Amino acid sequence: MFSKHVTKDISAYCHGELSSEESKRFAEHIISCVRCRSKFEEIKLGIRLAEQLPTLTAPDSMWQEIESALGRATQASQVVSMRSAHSWRKQAAIAAALLVVFGIGMLWFYKSRTDPRGPRGGPGSWLVTRLNGTPRIGDEHIASRGQLGIGEWLETDAHSRAQIAVGTIGNVDIDENTRVRLVETQPTEHRLELERGRMSARIWAPPRLFFVNTPSAVAEDLGCAYTLSVDDKGDGRLSVTSGWVALQANERESMVPEGASCETKLGTGPGTPYFDDSSLEFQRALKTIDFDKNPATRAEALESMLSQSRARDTLTLWHLLPRVNETERVRVFEKMQTLTPPPSSVTREGVLNLDEKMLDEWRSTLQASWGVGGSKGIPKSATEWKSLKSWSDLKLRDAEKK
Amino acid sequence: MAEQLINGQVIEACQQGDRDAFQRLFEAYKDKVFSIAVYSSGGDRAVAEDVTQQVFLKLFTAIRQFRGDSEFTTWLYRLVVNACLDERRRRRRLLPFESTQTTVAMSSVSDKKPQERHYARLEVSEAVRGAINELKPKFRLPILLKYIEGLSYEEIAEVMGCSKGTVASRLNRGHSQLAKRLSHLNNPALWGE
Repeated sequence: MFSKHVTKDISAYCHGELSSEESKRFAEHIISCVRCRSKFEEIKLGIRLAEQLPTLTAPDSMWQEIESALGRATQASQVVSMRSAHSWRKQAAIAAALLVVFGIGMLWFYKSRTDPRGPRGGPGSWLVTRLNGTPRIGDEHIASRGQLGIGEWLETDAHSRAQIAVGTIGNVDIDENTRVRLVETQPTEHRLELERGRMSARIWAPPRLFFVNTPSAVAEDLGCAYTLSVDDKGDGRLSVTSGWVALQANERESMVPEGASCETKLGTGPGTPYFDDSSLEFQRALKTIDFDKNPATRAEALESMLSQSRARDTLTLWHLLPRVNETERVRVFEKMQTLTPPPSSVTREGVLNLDEKMLDEWRSTLQASWGVGGSKGIPKSATEWKSLKSWSDLKLRDAEKK
Repeated sequence: MAEQLINGQVIEACQQGDRDAFQRLFEAYKDKVFSIAVYSSGGDRAVAEDVTQQVFLKLFTAIRQFRGDSEFTTWLYRLVVNACLDERRRRRRLLPFESTQTTVAMSSVSDKKPQERHYARLEVSEAVRGAINELKPKFRLPILLKYIEGLSYEEIAEVMGCSKGTVASRLNRGHSQLAKRLSHLNNPALWGE
């Protein structure tokens, strides 16, 4: 996989100039190669900057100047000969042709302005394949395949399912009773909105290319597979089956690894991630801590959750540290200390004061007990952590060394 | 939008000397041609106006020779690129945009109000113009053809008379140089993240 770097293809990949096979090979390589991914981030910035280059407006007077120059040069020969050579029938035919062209253009313009679904099947659209029943794009049912344009809604009922091809970077399965909209598809960003229902994504692109907006949080793909659901109230749940996903909203961020889930709540944002194999009592208590504002109920839930915590659940406890009050933080710290003591460079005071460097150092120690990506891929020092751009690099770094 | 309305019939009318069709063609492409000319002449709008006029005059006098073997846009942009390179060779020096790097304080963009953010984005746009101007023509022109004209790699290759691989490589290097020169603009707040 590392025999051939792909840096020379980065711009072509971002502009959709590679074939599907080449794109897939590119994405597979870049996920596993820190060097190429670093260059990818740089080129992506270059593309974003180039996209800011505006088209300028030529001065209004320019046509008059050109016309008079043209007139001086050719009026005597070309224009006069044209007038004599072509009868009024010819000119009428050209005028009629132009009128038809203009009419078609105006019709297209009117349709694209008034049809909220926008143009169909253009480069800014995704292929949708019917899996079951009769999914709809806007008001139209999909017979077997359709195109989802920017701004268009794809909707399934109780008996229908569909699959979306996200450009060349992955697939999204849309389950029953689900409503999604294509918000944006560009070389540097693909974004869906999940209004309600459930979707499963398998993305083989570099981190931070695929996003899903939900009413209560934004899911940011870090190279992974996951299921995301949203209920009628706008609350949601993310379950990750491979890699990592970041959930963000209201200045809260939860990093969810494979084998873990995270609830989201409208108005609050993402809750705290937890491993799916944690006890139900642990999960119930966590939900109370995340979303219940009653201090007495929270305190009771915290004690219950701490009593159920295993070493692996330090994923949850570590995320909780900055989210609980000072009294609760002491209790969380003490429990974590018994499960996986912090390294000597990390002090009690530092953690209780939420010293970022110390929290990061402890996290690198805790990671061994999370069973994510194997212990070989874990950065050993804070400096190494600092060099990582995202937690997804945990797994990728090990692959790079092979 | 106007570009959508230019088809074979309009071009044929131009070939027969129809002045209205000429004007239609001019209106469809003038801004894009002018933009490339401005960016290629180091931001000198007077020079860019001259280049744009030359391009359209040449286009109108030579359009009878256009036989439809290639896309009209490819043919047009080959005229543009050649005119810009000729102008550059003639002038032998460029008048650079005023550097705007020091005026863009991106650290405070996220704290600004929408109106101020709008102006910050304009400043970014100016900074990009400046950085584009500093690129070598072989890196700058593919970027202009890609982002101003929206051409594919194949079309750019045809306009510039090189291979698709060369276009990919030059765009890569152009993007990379832009990113390095404007790395201070790599602020998530600027991009609405």
